[in-house]
Amino acid sequence: MNLFETLSVSASGMSAQRQRATALVENLANAETTRTPEGGPYRRKDVVFQSEPAHSPFSGIFQNELVSGQEQAVGVSVSEVIEDTREPDRRYIPGHPDADAKGYVAFPRINPAEDMVDLMGASRNYSANVAAMTAVKDMINRSIDLVRG
Amino acid sequence: MLDPVQANLEHYMDLLGTRQKLVASNIANANTPGYRTRDMDFHFEFMSRAEGGAPNIIEPEGLEGHNDGNNVSMDREARLLAENTMRFNFASSLMKSQLKMIRMSIQEGGR
Repeated sequence: MNLFETLSVSASGMSAQRQRATALVENLANAETTRTPEGGPYRRKDVVFQSEPAHSPFSGIFQNELVSGQEQAVGVSVSEVIEDTREPDRRYIPGHPDADAKGYVAFPRINPAEDMVDLMGASRNYSANVAAMTAVKDMINRSIDLVRG
Repeated sequence: MLDPVQANLEHYMDLLGTRQKLVASNIANANTPGYRTRDMDFHFEFMSRAEGGAPNIIEPEGLEGHNDGNNVSMDREARLLAENTMRFNFASSLMKSQLKMIRMSIQEGGR
């Protein structure tokens, strides 16, 4: 039954979007952070998605034994987390402990609107994956009902 | 399976399951750069009834692409998701009534 594989596709989508949401929320929280362990201001993070074959732990092996030539279900994963390489935003605050010799403080270049819009996209796509999973669960339940009679 | 009607139903539900998998893949990859929508020609696959063989995966035409090379249309996928579920429910109800008839014949025959 290839329906169970579909569940792991939707699960991979949910997991990827959740990681994206985490990065975006981190950006919003650190929009004014001027100090990081690596030194310098916080840098905006974003994730890069890549599609990959979906495997469910059990059925993957079972399917390989059972059927060959099955078309692959394509899930999604976060391939890397990228950091913004743009120059930090410089603001003139002479009294600030992180100010340079000229009195400028390097702030993260973060536009909250940009992150909020991306966050909405992540949330919407998460919901879409949940809807897909619910639909497939319904189909599985219907199939099980056939056995019950 | 027991008779041609059920064999057809089984094939139909099998194909719907495969299509649902493609739809779920498209939804999961709605934000993946360069991903192209995957689908299959449902009527062709059903009519050709290539049992055992994997259905041909095609890229549907007429989809508007985004800047990142992705062309997943959420509206289209949502429609297909709902449609597949309803078709599957319909087919499974039919299958259920078929099985019920067989069960009834067995039970009544035993009296």
